[in-house]
Amino acid sequence: MRGLTLTFTLFATTAFAQVVLKDPKGDDNGPGGYTYPTDSVYKPGTFDLTEVTIEDAGSDLRVTVSYAGPVEDPWGSKGWDGNGFSHQMLFLFVDTDRKAGSGHKDGIPGLNVRFAEGSRWEKAFVITPQGKRRLDAEIASKAKSMQKDIVVPKSVRVQGRKIVAVFAKGELGAPAATWGYQAVVQSNEGYPSKSDLLTRPVNEIKGQHRFGGGHDFNCDPHAIDILAGSAKGGDDEKALQHRALKSYVCDDDNEDGGKRVELEMVTP
Amino acid sequence: MRRPLAALLLWSASAHAELVNFDLSGAIYTKWLYRNNDSQGLLSHGNPFWPDNLSGDNGVGSEFELGIKGRVGENVEAGVRLQSRFGALWQDWWENGDLAYDEVNTSGESLGMNHSQYIKLRGYYVRASLPISWVDSLLVGSSDFGMFNEWTIGKVRFIDRDNGKGVFVQGTLHPEYFRYHTAIIALPKLFVGPGWSTGIGDPNIRNPFWSRDLAYGLRMDSDVADGTRLTLIGTHTRDSEIDLTDPDAVGTIYPTCQDDLGNPVPGCEPDGAVDTYTRYSNSVATLEAQVDAWSGGSFNFIGGYSYSTVDPALAANGVALNEGVFPIPFGDFHGTFAKARAEFFDVGVSGLSLKLEYFNISEHFVTIFGARREADVLLTDGFIEGGQLPTLNLANEFVDFDDAWVESIVGWHGATALLEYVGDVELRIEETFLGYNTNAQFRDVDTVYPTFLHSDGYTDTDLYDYANVLDRGRDPRSVYRRFQDRLSSISVLSALFHTGVGEGLDFGVKAKFIWDSDGREGSTTEDDYLGLLTRAKLWVSYPFTLGMQVTLGSAFDYWLEENRRGSPEQGYGDDTTTKVRPYIDFRYAYQGFEVRYSLEYLYKLHERERDTDQKFHVVRSKAELKVAW
Repeated sequence: MRGLTLTFTLFATTAFAQVVLKDPKGDDNGPGGYTYPTDSVYKPGTFDLTEVTIEDAGSDLRVTVSYAGPVEDPWGSKGWDGNGFSHQMLFLFVDTDRKAGSGHKDGIPGLNVRFAEGSRWEKAFVITPQGKRRLDAEIASKAKSMQKDIVVPKSVRVQGRKIVAVFAKGELGAPAATWGYQAVVQSNEGYPSKSDLLTRPVNEIKGQHRFGGGHDFNCDPHAIDILAGSAKGGDDEKALQHRALKSYVCDDDNEDGGKRVELEMVTP
Repeated sequence: MRRPLAALLLWSASAHAELVNFDLSGAIYTKWLYRNNDSQGLLSHGNPFWPDNLSGDNGVGSEFELGIKGRVGENVEAGVRLQSRFGALWQDWWENGDLAYDEVNTSGESLGMNHSQYIKLRGYYVRASLPISWVDSLLVGSSDFGMFNEWTIGKVRFIDRDNGKGVFVQGTLHPEYFRYHTAIIALPKLFVGPGWSTGIGDPNIRNPFWSRDLAYGLRMDSDVADGTRLTLIGTHTRDSEIDLTDPDAVGTIYPTCQDDLGNPVPGCEPDGAVDTYTRYSNSVATLEAQVDAWSGGSFNFIGGYSYSTVDPALAANGVALNEGVFPIPFGDFHGTFAKARAEFFDVGVSGLSLKLEYFNISEHFVTIFGARREADVLLTDGFIEGGQLPTLNLANEFVDFDDAWVESIVGWHGATALLEYVGDVELRIEETFLGYNTNAQFRDVDTVYPTFLHSDGYTDTDLYDYANVLDRGRDPRSVYRRFQDRLSSISVLSALFHTGVGEGLDFGVKAKFIWDSDGREGSTTEDDYLGLLTRAKLWVSYPFTLGMQVTLGSAFDYWLEENRRGSPEQGYGDDTTTKVRPYIDFRYAYQGFEVRYSLEYLYKLHERERDTDQKFHVVRSKAELKVAW
């Protein structure tokens, strides 16, 4: 139960109705030095995760993601079969068996993260402005080996500064209190690099539509905000996040070389 | 892959050093457009007034764009977008232009450059993050003006996204309480102004002086509390012209400071400086509050003021001289608007939301530089589904038959209630009641208020033509009428069922009913209009493979219109319109390969009491392929 704000409304040891994972405001800077792209559509707080709630909703799982900044749709997502917003993209990784060495070690292509041995993931829930058709096609094309474990929502809706996504519970079954969680905030990129799953790169220098403060090679984590520590939203979690995302090493002679960060799950 | 081209190691070391700083992107777009008529071209609706060389319903053509970005320094970035000119057909082998030789020539060549697919510099910018505490970035060059809003300076349409140029400063005095944008924007000489120009072609202007025509904008944001943001925007658009009485001006009427009789002109003296006058100006200010502090809902309030003034000595009165086709009321006008929207989440059931909106746009609200299309400021589905915008300066041209249309809401006063459910079924129920601040008797539509010539009848965007030879109904910009006493309601029910059959069979239905009445002249009931307009659509869609969506459907329209069109002198006629439009839509995306194909058959029977009936059998299709890298 370490560090997770957990609300039990069911008296069971392994099943729950709602998990609330909080994240501090003001840590939408990855390892500490990431900066937003320069275009004015990226408003302050847009990628600043403040809370993720996972609820058991009968045959579904309902995931509610809250941000400090606005959830807006300046790119008219309905025009490209999207979900009513333009910017935020969140990957919610779930470690259902908590067994070391079990599950996927690599993150989603484009995030440039891996997972620690004890935090490998079984399922990844994707919440993005992109509609199902585009998302399915991108997953099949760029994350073939993970395809069956990447879960696409049945529906997505915007509620103020929140995005609510409903997933079929399906083979995952009822959520258990023993699961581990990690959320990675990214930005929806409609014209991604050929290996990236609709993610927006982080470069050394920020650009009109590029985050800055990272590295031009694929060694730095393309993660703007993640969960850290006890996921209670305390300010101490900012430093923990920065430490977790700083532990990468680049190879100046190899674009895809170096050592990527290994994320830990936040566990109840 | 948009990243520094470090991989281009085949180049020499010096070349590599030069190229490593380049971030390249490219795209190729191809369009196929066909219809069972004999026009040739690549665009369903082109320039509404002048013949252009790309409009037509049968053709296939491509365009290429190249984006180049580079770093000048750690905090300085520059970029350009190059794009080929669109309009040449694949069949136009060897062709450069669209001008034929005066004599017989079978070479296949043509004169001019319009079909040479030449690469044009479409956009360029320099963006710098300067080490000044209250300046976050300075942008010089292209922008889509997305930092303002639809009521002031609207985001330009996609095809113009890099055409607008200006100087933009974005900064922060306090990260929460005070952020700002400022802008000085070069006015597009061809659509922002009386007569859609800043002087070109205006009979009152002998020497259009557009190079100092500018718009100014200021936006200030403040997060006054957690979840509560205030935004104040002020813009001023000004079209200047030279003072032709100034002896220093080119083309001055007093080069020697003497009148026709040789008498000295009082106050006339060359001084090496040219005075200017304002031909047209428009100031618009809005104040908006967005409140997201409550988990149960969100609220938005926006209100604004506009002032529009035109100098009749420098701007021809297009209301009088151009048959009422003019983008502003001619004169000096103050206008206001207010809009309030409340949204309540999960009302009783998870996924069910209730949205309520009140709007009141005065008859004299004018925004010449507001959003022209690809935006929507109201909740309602509207009469036309593409969007509702607060300007007469709409852009429903340079579009294809399948593109959305927008309509003007100047003068609209009403409210909308919208119940939405998002889940296995996506449900939307809307009711809107509309009154009109433009209701009036004996309105001066001869010299002041533009009518766009056609103010009567429900607008048929399926078979639209600018000259209205097809009797397509009201122009979407026509909000004024000599006699109007109008009241309307819009009811919409739409549902999309995600059945879960197979890989995801969806079934959709949409029904809209519009009740539209206009008592027109108050002294008689002989001319009263009543439109009972029913629109419906059914469709099924299925993803036959990953990335593919095939949709089969049909739209049905039945419009009963009493006294649809006419005049008190000629009398009015009752019309009935029946339309059926079966269609198929195919979309497929794979690794950046995006293709769409749409084919439809449109049957329309327009039974007209005062004129002969019209019947249409139209088969048309459009396909698009885009790859970007």
